[in-house]
Amino acid sequence: MSEIILTNQLLSRQSFKEQCGIELSQLRDIHGRTPEFAIGNTPYLLEPASPVNNRPSTEGLSALNQLAPMYISRDLTNLSLSYGSDNVLALAQIRKNLYDFGTASVGASAGFHGNRISGFIKAVQEYQNALMQFREAIETKSPHKLAAEQKVNHAYKELQNKFHYEMESVTAQIKSRRGTALSNLERGKNIVRSSRNITKLDVTSQAQASEVAQFAKYTKFLGNGLAVIDFTSRLGNIQNTHKAGGSWHKQLFIESTSFIASAAAGTMMINAGSYGLGLLIAATPIGWVGLIIGGTLVVGAAAGASLGANYTLQQNSGNWYDAIMNALGI
Amino acid sequence: MSIFSKLLAFDFLFILLSCILYVLFGQITVRKLRKNPKTKNVLGMEYASGWDIINVASALAMPRRLSRKLEKGPLAYLYANSDLLFENTSKFDRILGAVFYWLFMSSSFVCVLLVLLNYLGVFDG
Repeated sequence: MSEIILTNQLLSRQSFKEQCGIELSQLRDIHGRTPEFAIGNTPYLLEPASPVNNRPSTEGLSALNQLAPMYISRDLTNLSLSYGSDNVLALAQIRKNLYDFGTASVGASAGFHGNRISGFIKAVQEYQNALMQFREAIETKSPHKLAAEQKVNHAYKELQNKFHYEMESVTAQIKSRRGTALSNLERGKNIVRSSRNITKLDVTSQAQASEVAQFAKYTKFLGNGLAVIDFTSRLGNIQNTHKAGGSWHKQLFIESTSFIASAAAGTMMINAGSYGLGLLIAATPIGWVGLIIGGTLVVGAAAGASLGANYTLQQNSGNWYDAIMNALGI
Repeated sequence: MSIFSKLLAFDFLFILLSCILYVLFGQITVRKLRKNPKTKNVLGMEYASGWDIINVASALAMPRRLSRKLEKGPLAYLYANSDLLFENTSKFDRILGAVFYWLFMSSSFVCVLLVLLNYLGVFDG
């Protein structure tokens, strides 16, 4: 288990100790050295000093490495400070679940999952926005504090209503004693009330470190702390192949051919289906129930065709790429 | 490469060609219709943005009798109004639309058919 410390400002040895009660000498930076200052938006590893060997654990350093790039660590710091760090871990997990689900289902059905993902992101944004406004109202002692608190309650309820299952499955795994801001409204409000600028992230595994890094990467922090997450699974695949040293040209070819084919298959089925349905309803006394059943069949057939085309093209177009490259002599 | 893979690749070339025609038809014909106040609101339902291109193409490509029948039915709001479109397009637009529509529909139909046959094990032997 690695504990990661994040701060959003430059802190001297003295003020760092005052703020969180930890000696700066207990921290390690990305090179395994003890820092002189705590630099803002930089992750540090916190490990209990062991008398036997003075080197930080390799797992800890590896987790640190994944979170260290500036564009990741800055967003991660902001997110952790405004959501609470357990919350970031939970969100990273939910994002991964939705993302895996989305990657497994593409084409026409992607519209549905895309809606689900963007709905989730929107609900989280609203909850966060409400929390930020509440925080501002507390800091400025605004008379609208109560209204802002109401808004937090409302946004939290929305999030709970719409994404109950996703949140339950994830927050059950975290087992934080205090609960997370996602499972517990009071916890969310308390994080806001305590306006801190240092936060601690408990990363339990390598896999979790990479999930967190991915989450921060997909999260852009706008001026007022609005998190926007965009999903580009196909681009993600290409980028991963590129990073893993694979042939990303080939992956690009595979992803684009399968995308075109699955889109074409889905479009064709829906178009043919809407004609069939239109003729059916014009020729027979079929009612609205029949229309709904027919519509469901059309959408289902379109999703099936689209998935099938995507899968088959993924299987075959790699060969086409090789054949074309061979023929061109490249 | 297996026979199936070759057939699919051959069909994919036509899908690709129809995608190029889709862009061309969208830029040449549908853009004009979107700007025309007479036809702006009769391009049919857009399930996704750009779907009106397909609606217009199908209204121009389908036999007139069939389109008229559909447009009188209860689902008329799904389809583009072919009468208005015929009044406001040139012969070139209609030919482009018909070529695009039938190439697109047939090539993607063949694609789905091949995938289905492959799934059923026809190409295994």
